[in-house]
Amino acid sequence: MTQQSIRFTVNDTPAEVSVDPLRRLADVLREDLGLTGTKIGCNAGDCGACTVLVDGRQSCACLVPIGQAAGHAIVTVEGLVAKGQLSQLQQAFQDHGAAQCGICTPGMLMAASDLLAQTPSPSEQDVLDALGGVLCRCTGYRKIVDAVLSLGKTTAAPVSRNAVVGARLPKVDGLAKMTGAERYGADSWPADSLVLRAIRSPHHHARFGFGDFAALFAAHPGLVKILTAADIPGQNVFGIYPTGKDQPVFAEGYARFRGEAICALVGDAATIAAIRDDEVPVEWETLSPLQGVEAALSPHAAQLHETAKGNVLIEGRLARGDVDAAITKADIRLSDNFQTSFVEHAYIEPEAGYARRVGDRLEIFATTQTPYMDRDEVALIMGLRQEQIRIIPSAVGGGFGGKLDLSLQPMIGVAAWLLNRPVRCTYSRPESMASTTKRHPASIAITVAATKEGRLSAVRFHGDYNTGAYASWGPTVANRVPVHAMGPYHVPAVYCTTRAIYTNDTPAGAFRGFGVPQAAIALETMLDDLAEKLDLCPFEFRYLNALDKGSVTASGQRLDASVGLRACLDALRPQWERLRLEAADFNETSRHLRRGVGVGCGWYGIGNTSLPNPSIMRIGLKRDGCITLYSGALDIGQGSNTIMMQICADALGVPLSIIDLVTGDTDLTPDAGKTSASRQTFVSGAALRLAADDLRGQILRLANVGEPGRFALDGRTLRVSDGVTDQVIDLARLPAAGENGDVLVGEGRFDPPTTPLDADGQGIPYATYSFSAQLALVEVDIELGTTKVLRIAAAADVGKAINPTQVEGQLHGGVAQGLGLALMEEYIPGRTENLHDYLIPTIGDVPPIDTYIIEDEEPLGPFGAKGIGEPALVPTAPAILNAIRHATGARVTRVPATPDRLRAALRATGRYEAAK
Amino acid sequence: MYPFGYQRIDTPQALKAAQQRQRGEADKAVSYLAGGTTLLDLMKLGTLAPAEILDINGLAHDYGDISWADDELRLGALVRMSAAADHPRIRSDFPVIAQSLDLAASPQIRNMASLGGNVLQRTRCNYFRQTGWTACNKRQPGSGCAAMEGVNRKHAILGVSDHCIAAYPGDFGQALVALEARVDILGFHGTRTLPFHQLHLAPGSEPERETVLLPGELITGFHVPIGPWTRRSLYLKIRDRESYEFALVSAAVAMHLDDNVIRDVRIALGGVATKPWRAHEAEQQLIGRRPDLPAFEAASKVAFAAAVTRPGNRYKVDLGQQTLTRALLQLAEMEV
Repeated sequence: MTQQSIRFTVNDTPAEVSVDPLRRLADVLREDLGLTGTKIGCNAGDCGACTVLVDGRQSCACLVPIGQAAGHAIVTVEGLVAKGQLSQLQQAFQDHGAAQCGICTPGMLMAASDLLAQTPSPSEQDVLDALGGVLCRCTGYRKIVDAVLSLGKTTAAPVSRNAVVGARLPKVDGLAKMTGAERYGADSWPADSLVLRAIRSPHHHARFGFGDFAALFAAHPGLVKILTAADIPGQNVFGIYPTGKDQPVFAEGYARFRGEAICALVGDAATIAAIRDDEVPVEWETLSPLQGVEAALSPHAAQLHETAKGNVLIEGRLARGDVDAAITKADIRLSDNFQTSFVEHAYIEPEAGYARRVGDRLEIFATTQTPYMDRDEVALIMGLRQEQIRIIPSAVGGGFGGKLDLSLQPMIGVAAWLLNRPVRCTYSRPESMASTTKRHPASIAITVAATKEGRLSAVRFHGDYNTGAYASWGPTVANRVPVHAMGPYHVPAVYCTTRAIYTNDTPAGAFRGFGVPQAAIALETMLDDLAEKLDLCPFEFRYLNALDKGSVTASGQRLDASVGLRACLDALRPQWERLRLEAADFNETSRHLRRGVGVGCGWYGIGNTSLPNPSIMRIGLKRDGCITLYSGALDIGQGSNTIMMQICADALGVPLSIIDLVTGDTDLTPDAGKTSASRQTFVSGAALRLAADDLRGQILRLANVGEPGRFALDGRTLRVSDGVTDQVIDLARLPAAGENGDVLVGEGRFDPPTTPLDADGQGIPYATYSFSAQLALVEVDIELGTTKVLRIAAAADVGKAINPTQVEGQLHGGVAQGLGLALMEEYIPGRTENLHDYLIPTIGDVPPIDTYIIEDEEPLGPFGAKGIGEPALVPTAPAILNAIRHATGARVTRVPATPDRLRAALRATGRYEAAK
Repeated sequence: MYPFGYQRIDTPQALKAAQQRQRGEADKAVSYLAGGTTLLDLMKLGTLAPAEILDINGLAHDYGDISWADDELRLGALVRMSAAADHPRIRSDFPVIAQSLDLAASPQIRNMASLGGNVLQRTRCNYFRQTGWTACNKRQPGSGCAAMEGVNRKHAILGVSDHCIAAYPGDFGQALVALEARVDILGFHGTRTLPFHQLHLAPGSEPERETVLLPGELITGFHVPIGPWTRRSLYLKIRDRESYEFALVSAAVAMHLDDNVIRDVRIALGGVATKPWRAHEAEQQLIGRRPDLPAFEAASKVAFAAAVTRPGNRYKVDLGQQTLTRALLQLAEMEV
């Protein structure tokens, strides 16, 4: 392709490039002009992350050939900042908490800019229409809507500039997300980087062998290396659990799922882009794939892993009381089966990063949720010591569990190490979707029983979870699900069994809730069945059975504090009563629309299940009187940077302005564990409080001042007082204690106290639980099978909201993902590998959300705080499904409840044939 | 992966010259580029690999206007979807056109995509789009159809053949079919004008032939007659999410209602058919009838009488009937 010289303006500045005229504008902006504020989420016009203005109108830069831009005016997010000041729109996004991970923020800002230029005072519907082409997976969109609507209005966002616990401090790392300056995995690379692209199995199950690569090298002089399993210096295997590592970096002659990497091409960017997959000489022998658990459990099924007889990876079990007797004795017993689908994380940032060799060390800059686990796993794969690996997390454009597993890190690591050249890689959207983990599809059989007074007597639960081709987080199905499957209720007799089943589907792993949301769908639907049969209000039925202080859980754990489920329900009760009445009124006069209100509850054990998961946090005091917070707690958009800064400032009693944050880098920060299981606020936050206490103690000791002492920092002058005597210390005169120039270093370590579970699942699996309850108001079109969620009310007991805006953000985001789980999301391996065949909620799908933050303080938590990431999602799908059932009588036992499934469920009620 | 030619066409003369060149190289795959929203996507996937691309955006002066005659609306092929959807008179006088455009794609895509390109949008059938699937008669004539036994929840039930069940993905095309629009096609020999419903072909035994366009021919505009049914018209689209999604089922309908009697009615169906689908028999059922539920239900049954389903898309008969009935009811209740 010949290059052409193309002129246009970018942010009012003339630009000229000499490139292939079909090169995409998004690539020109990012790679040729260095404007990486424009993000590429799908490269297909499906996600809107690359939205820029072309002559003032929002357009997808990934679908504009640069030849078409000639003579036109382009505006990118970098152009919104004028004279170093955020625009009003950017400031509104920052103040409203409209960005979480921030990867969609540039696209949102540009779409909103187009709207506001044409309609300075838009209506809510205008905002929904204008922003309908930008997908966000974190925020649930509502704070974005609020931010755009706030422009031109006098009411400001309730922002606090005070960094104390409980304040609505805007994100401490928010500005870079507004300006496009934030560096995600694909936004940084050394200038001389080679590019890596994996070649993946197009078959679900196949044997393969490579031909001679010589012709490929001859045809493509820019091809430097083809990496295969033979190039792995250490072990060609990875996996979450130390004893269960089963996934190869490169498959060795045998591919267990479509999308599994078999080799990788490394070379210059143009060469790697130009080589077609089918040019790589591979001989395939396809094998019959085992898709779905039924196929994998069939007696004649092939065994996919040597260690897994019958393709069962692991089994879980919890037994309490005599469940058979309890079910027999109960006044009422009901059983049913439920199915859920694979669900894709759909973070808008695909996996990306680069690796480089620095002497005898390997540095990897990449998007991740878990730098320390990455370090340890890469070390094994590289055959290097852990200290030889440095993981520098990029800003993370969404994770939700999907970036807990290794993806490109070992491939770029091996390539950079062997070639001694920096190597970068960005997954394409189809590659990301085909190769990374999903939410486990569950096939659940459940029986519930109760007394006629409405006391739950027993729950029997069996769940088969499709873990796909590799274990990943499959074992969590065995340990977490049985603990949670009976819900946050007092149930005297429980028998829960689970199995994780290997198949030839995409591996299933961690996804916000670790199997609990699937179980909640089954249980909460059955609770409404019981309430209906018993003629009880489903809301009060839950209240009656809700866990409370002093309750003993099904694993035998006595809950002595911070059990706020009833408080959540109390907060929701007025809405429940009002909305149920309003729905009934509406239905009186409605022809084909039926409204209904449903409730769902959830609980969630914070942190690992009966396994150690310590965090270490460190705070340094420098000679200039500045504090450095060394936090390994990785912020993936959920806000832990802000939360930790607030805890640090409040615990030390110092202003935010003197605290520097160093985060995530395995060379610079201690191990704070992974960002998963809703654990960072609780576990790392508690460690941070201990670190602050430690530093404070050291300061008092330095001044020889006893408790209760106070200190204040005024530049390099440290004043310490016990109320009687004052000490003044010049910090500049103290010797440095640490390698970072700190004169004092406080450290805290916290590992939530748990005990192992016995064979019956009895023990203390978690130190604390968060509780949540939600209401959904839906409107179902009984003739068309469509469901519109009109309102969600979400209450959560978080112990203490360190930052209420962030807690609301988690609730909103969890609700949006729960809505997707209930109504539209279904990943089908091989068929839905883009963001248009796989649907996530758009801005128009998420209704107004009322939030109720309950603060039943957890004594172990920092300032009483627990976690919120996952509890936010668990009740949403059940509440929506129960609302559909209240509206129509239709019971949905297979999600998502798409129009075709809902029509079938409506017909099954027998109520609507006459109307048809 | 990349074509070797990219040329900007800025004048009708340049277009004619390019068309003349193409006549000499009939086997060379040449694609026109307007909005690019389908072409660039499919080129990236490797589904399409044109040898030469002619960027016709420079012809907007010639084919980029919305204009009116006494008896028709004229839409240039390079009018952007958003420009037509936002046009006040189109919104009031041709609601079905404005709605079919508003409910399609995303705001960004609507700003980019042209009307001419929109009606030629390629199917979303995965087996067509993803070259990893070997069996697709549309992409590789004679290779078979993986959708028949595959995941076919979104596939067509009307106008299908043993060779292909891929659904036509567009929305605007249904509005044009319902309104009996005509399409201007410019080729080397000059312009020909066809009834729009003749533009697309059902797959039959040649699913690779989707339209009657000859190599080098370019759609330059549309004529939409103004009739007593155009104001009473609407587009109803049922989909899996609230915005930016293709139809499971859609209906473009228009009606001339006089003295509570249906004098004329136009029905086109989307999401369920291999091409923009006109339901003539259903229309015939309704002419001369009162606009009531029994009449609409009976017509909706007729509209889907010829449906050929697979297990995955059997639901579309029921959902399609419901959708059409609803569209007709709303149409009858419209204030015009």
